Parts: sequence; structure tokens; C-alpha cells
Amino acid sequence: MPIVGVTLRGLLGRRRTLLMLLLVALPVLIGLLIRLSDSRIGVDRVLDTMLVQTVLPLVALVLGTAALGSELEDGTAVYLMIKPVPRWRIVGAKMLVSAGLTVVLVVPSTVLAGLLAGGVGPASLGTTFGYAVAVAAGGSAYACAFVGLSAFTSRALVLGLGYTMIWEGVLAGLLEGTRFLSVRQATLGIARGLSGQPVREGTLELGLAVAIVAIAVGAAFALGSIRLTRFEIRSAD
Amino acid sequence: MSGQPVQPVRLPRLEPPLPGPPASSDAVLAVDHVARWFGNVVAVNDISFGLGPGVTGLLGPNGAGKSTLLHLLAGLLQPSAGNVWVAGQRAWGNPQVYRRIGLVPEREGVHDYLTGHEFVLLNARLQALPDVEAAVGRALATVDLVTDSRRQIGTYSKGMRQRIKLAGALVHDPPILLLDEPFNGMDPRQRLHMMDLLRAMAAAGRTILFSSHILEEVERLADSVLVIYAGRLAAWGDFRSIRRLMTDRPHTFTLRSSDDRRLAAALLAEPSVFGAELTDGLLSVRTSDFGAFTRAVPRIAKTETISLFEVRPSDDSLESVFSYLVRR
Repeated sequence: MPIVGVTLRGLLGRRRTLLMLLLVALPVLIGLLIRLSDSRIGVDRVLDTMLVQTVLPLVALVLGTAALGSELEDGTAVYLMIKPVPRWRIVGAKMLVSAGLTVVLVVPSTVLAGLLAGGVGPASLGTTFGYAVAVAAGGSAYACAFVGLSAFTSRALVLGLGYTMIWEGVLAGLLEGTRFLSVRQATLGIARGLSGQPVREGTLELGLAVAIVAIAVGAAFALGSIRLTRFEIRSAD
Repeated sequence: MSGQPVQPVRLPRLEPPLPGPPASSDAVLAVDHVARWFGNVVAVNDISFGLGPGVTGLLGPNGAGKSTLLHLLAGLLQPSAGNVWVAGQRAWGNPQVYRRIGLVPEREGVHDYLTGHEFVLLNARLQALPDVEAAVGRALATVDLVTDSRRQIGTYSKGMRQRIKLAGALVHDPPILLLDEPFNGMDPRQRLHMMDLLRAMAAAGRTILFSSHILEEVERLADSVLVIYAGRLAAWGDFRSIRRLMTDRPHTFTLRSSDDRRLAAALLAEPSVFGAELTDGLLSVRTSDFGAFTRAVPRIAKTETISLFEVRPSDDSLESVFSYLVRR
């Protein structure tokens, strides 16, 4: 599909790729330091803090908002929209690429960081596997949400950052109800569910967490498509 | 821009405003009482016209509403009132009209990281053409960019970017072309080449509408013209009629000569001159006949043995031409 190809080319610009590689290298580096220092920090804590709370939303935010938002901003998206292609296909392709790239970048980082920090014991492998699947699901939800958001506003990057830092980082810890609207909480729910860890208080159950991810992807796709169908160009006069 | 009430100038060869949907009309592009406002700014105000094959120039000063009108025709803006029809189909919310439209936007960036060939190929693939490579080759040859087509667009000059945008718009061989300021950034040779190209495409039966704020561009290319001013259609029809109207309006000239006083006296005897003023060493002369006056000045200067240093129309800006058309 040509939109997938051109979006991929656009997202893999030299500077952005370098930034993303540096970001996903960070948890691996931390894992390596833990391994070398013989520290006893739990693998779930490393993956939770470094991947789920930090690297995952940042990578998905940069890729998700750039996939559509940057093209709407610089006007190149117009060349896609003046074609006999339904707008939902444009949104779908943008989501597919940004979610795919997020997964490709973050999952290996999760696996490597988990193996380095926790070793290859069965419990540690189970946790690493659970987190790898969870960041794939959560990364897709984040990326799709940010693609959808950038169909609505040119300030998607700032709003996305606000969502991950304030809503998920602060409010989700204070107000219990907000965790149902948190991709991070859903990601953690999947990770803990698949790791076989006992469900902690305040953690979403696996089924509910999967449902939240699915709803986030579906809603972002539907709303983004509707919005792009009614998209109007900024006129020169 | 304001929604000041203006009356369009009706010219001898006019396309009548369409009374309703174009089902009963042969117009390829039909605009039916269309208005578009942004907040309380009226960008396009109750415009109606119908266009068939040929080259039509959309002429107006910057900010007149030309791009808004082209975007309405291209289905990239929803009319606030009225309807826009492209080949009998509604333009807004109908991606299928893009099989029949080729659009070259003025300001939009191009994918700089693609080569020219890749950009046109992308357009061809999005049109789901059966033989994309052949279509791409034809489009690149048409805009004379075959040799540079393997370079990244980021390295192109502004004129080359305009041409690659045109190749992208032409790749599916559309019967309708909408071009927003297509000659911007082109050098004179490229400009002539593009004009020849557009003329040939119009002769082959295409409907081409291009916007410009430069009278000479429209004069050289367009068979008919839509003059838009302050969001209203000020005049439309055969270009020569509008040009004559523009030329025959009252003009003011500024002159400098070896003897301004004597020149003024001699010019006032001319029937085409109805006023002369000498202020701050500058002679201003008002005439009702542009052609007669420009022929009379050198003749009188020669008869009176006066040396002319400067003869300059002082109100020839497009703004003054358009405001004259609107006032008429």
C-alpha cells in the first residue's frame, strides 16, 4: 500500500531514527548496568519504570504524532487526500506504520533489558515475556491514539505529553477511576496478567486491560477517520 | 477581506450563473451561489459560474479569495452555503471526484525525501492506475523532468517543485486541472513551456482553471477569465473584453519633460485628455482613452520639440484595476 511506504519513509528520517534508537537503548543500558553491578532490583520494576512509564509513551508519541500530524502541518498530507482513497485508509495506514514501528523499537528493548536485568530464570523470563507482549499492545494503543489525536489538533505532541505526564503520571496514581482511561495502566495490567504475578490492588485485570487497549485502538481509528473525512485545508486567503 | 456589496461586471460573452444543480448544465465545473466564511471573515461571497473545456484564469489580488475558491472546487473546503459540482458530482466529501481532478496547490510542501520519480509514482499508485510506470514516464516527460527525476525533491528549485507537483497532478490524465499560482518561482523559459503545455492540454479538451495575481500571465494563457475581488466575482467572461474594459477605464499618467507647462497645455487640447495638474514639478494627466493618449504623447512632444524623460501610468496596480471593475 503506497501510503504505508511513504509514511515509513517519512518517519525514518535520520534525526528521528537516531533519537528513537537512543531512547530504546536506554533501558538496555540500565539492564546492563544492573547485570554488571549485581544489583537486586526486580526485573518488573526496571521494565515498569523504564519501558512502560518512560520510553514506550515517548516513542509512540513521537511516531504517532509525526505519522499524520507532521504531514498535515507541512501540507504533504494534501497529496494523499486529493486521491480517490477513502480517508479511513489513510488513517489506518498511518496507525499501522506508527504502531508497527513502535513495536519494532520497543519490544526488542524490553526483551534485552529484561534478560540483562533479570537473567534467564523461569520467573524472570515469564516477566520479560509478559512485558514484551504488554508493550506491544500498549505501544499500539498509544501510537493509534496519538495518530487519532493529531487528526484533531496541530498540538497533538504537547497534548500527548500532557496526557502521559499529568493524566497517567500524576492523576492515575491519585484518582482510582482514571486508570480505566490510562493506556499505561492497561499495559501494566497485561504485563502482570501474562507474567503470572498476583494481581496487586489497583492493577487492572488482564481481560479488562486487553479490552481497554482494543477500545483505545478502535476509538482512535474511528474518530480519526471521521475527523479526516471532514478535514478542511487551511486556505491561503 | 470583507463582504462589502459589489456588483459583478457583466461582459459580452458571459457564462450565465447556474440557476441550480448542474444536471441541466454542460458545465464541467459548476459553482452555485457558493459562500465560504471563516468565523466572521467572508472569504468567498455568493459566487456562481460554470466552466467548460479551455483555459480560464482566476484573477485577483492577493487575499481576494482565489485559493479558497480553488479549494472549494477541489473538495478541500466545505461551502458554508451553496454547492460546488465537478463533472456532475458534488466536490465536498466525495473522494471519487479526484479521479477527474488534478490539483496543484500553491503552498503545500512536497515530500522532500522522495525523488521526483517516487513522488509521481506515489500519485499514480494512489490513483490505482493499471500501468503506473508508463503513466509516470509520460507525466515526467510532459513537465520536462525526466533527467532530474532520480534526484530528491529536497534538492529541487522552486520551479522544479512546481513542475513535479504538476506531474503528480497529471499522472492520471485528468480532464480537469486546478492550478493555484502555477507559475510562481518559474523562470521565463519554464513559464513559457508550462503555458504551451497548458494550452495544448486545453486544446485536447481539458478544463483548466488557474489562479494568478499577475494580469500578463492570465492575458497570455487564458481564453476566459474570472475576476475575483474581496471574495466576490467582479467580472467574468472573455478575457479580451475584460482587458479592454481595464484599458479603457480613466487613467492617470505621470510625466516628466523638458517643459512640463507647455506639454500640459498641448495635451489639454487632446480630446482624450480631461485634466492636467502640475504639482511639485510633476505633471499628472488624466485621460479617458489609454490607447489614444499613449499615441498622442510622443506625437505632441515631437511637434512641440519637448524632450520626454518619463511617461508612467500612476494607477496601474491590480488593486486599482479591480476596484474600478467592482465600482462599475
